[in-house]
Amino acid sequence: MILPYLVRLLCLSFASFFVLNLAAGLLVWILSKPAIRFAQTRTSSSAARLLLALRLLPLALAGLFVVGLCVPSYLWLEPAATAERVGFLCVVLGLLGAAIWFASIARTVHSILASLRHNRLCRLAGEETRIQGNSFPVVLVDDEAPLLALSGLLRPRLLISRGVLRVLSLEEFDAALRHEHAHRTSRDNAKRLLLLLAPDIFPFVRPLSMLEHSWSKFAEWAADDQAAAGDSRRALSLAAALVHVARMGAGPRLPFLSTPLLAGDRDLSARVDRLLQAAPIAPAHTSKSKHRLLNAGFLLAVCLAAVLLAPSALSSVHELLELLLH
Amino acid sequence: MIRFLKNRIQRGVNQSQSLALGTLEFELMEILWSNGASNVRDVVPKLSRPLAYTTVMTTLDRLFKKGFLDRHKSDRAFVYSSSFSRREWERRRAGSLVAGFLSGPNPSRELLLSCLLDAVGEHDATLLDELEKKIRTRRKELHRQEQP
Repeated sequence: MILPYLVRLLCLSFASFFVLNLAAGLLVWILSKPAIRFAQTRTSSSAARLLLALRLLPLALAGLFVVGLCVPSYLWLEPAATAERVGFLCVVLGLLGAAIWFASIARTVHSILASLRHNRLCRLAGEETRIQGNSFPVVLVDDEAPLLALSGLLRPRLLISRGVLRVLSLEEFDAALRHEHAHRTSRDNAKRLLLLLAPDIFPFVRPLSMLEHSWSKFAEWAADDQAAAGDSRRALSLAAALVHVARMGAGPRLPFLSTPLLAGDRDLSARVDRLLQAAPIAPAHTSKSKHRLLNAGFLLAVCLAAVLLAPSALSSVHELLELLLH
Repeated sequence: MIRFLKNRIQRGVNQSQSLALGTLEFELMEILWSNGASNVRDVVPKLSRPLAYTTVMTTLDRLFKKGFLDRHKSDRAFVYSSSFSRREWERRRAGSLVAGFLSGPNPSRELLLSCLLDAVGEHDATLLDELEKKIRTRRKELHRQEQP
């Protein structure tokens, strides 16, 4: 098949993204079980960070390779005037690459729309207010359903039903608010968006969902730890709040881009047990790990720049692309 | 014949599509519900504001096409009558609203259902009892620790 210059670039980019994402995704899939076991030995926040990084690794590697190497090498070393025949395999891989991106973008858009619709509906069914001492907006929903969740991306709102307000004591409500505030400060809804946007390793197959579920669990635990902040009384109040909300029955299904106080009953027992242990876990100081993360990012950027500046690297990549193309 | 069939098909489609009425449409329906079958000339003086004969004629024709009205020709003019009573319209409208809500996206459907129905899939009551017992025990422990 003979394709024009830019379509060939698009096909090559999708094809190389698919191959790299598949390779890295399979590696991550093999490593996911030992990684989850290892994460259980760490603090909940570092475990959540580790699992999120592992889940996003295929996207980051494949994306960096395509944007940092494939596209520049093609633009600099491929003569624009030539019309070349593209191999069948390259076209198929390109289509598969486009399909995994299409699927991830479609589910992301769907989730964003569902979240917007749900928030609008809650605002219609309730009233927007602010709770004293809390900076973020609260929507008080006139409903008896067990609803207490942080919803939205750019301006997250706390959705609270009157039923929940009625059931929780003042201390329990304060602990629940601290839990949701912890989700807000760690931008868990934005992380959920990244998880949605990370393409599958094969169209419509999600073998890395195990990592996503584990990340979700550790993110809840991390928010619990932050809410309790090493205070046994507060931990007790949060545990009581969880049980009281659970007693209210099953709540309305929330969009993926929201973090409810009680995501499901699978983890309820473990969460309550953690909160009731003799010395509640204080949240780890994140400045050290943030520095480490920044250092790693800086090192990666330097390496990438060094590779980009080396002409031999780009020509090697171009040869590889030629191989893939034909 | 073709026009008749087209109207029938159009009526069926429109009826399922929408039972909503505009302000003028609703006023015309009110007049027909209270006065029974009428032609355009009978309807115009009963309106709350003066409107052109052609405007009323067009709106009545639109209501016929939407399936709200039936009509027959009498002395070179159409006589319109409502296809269903006001109560029937209200019942259908409420039904279509609920159906629209239920066939809508999950959150809206479930928010409504959460208001209408008892929640299903509740948490295991035994587990919750056990957890509450643990909380009570822990509360007592803390209370003892805090006492001098």
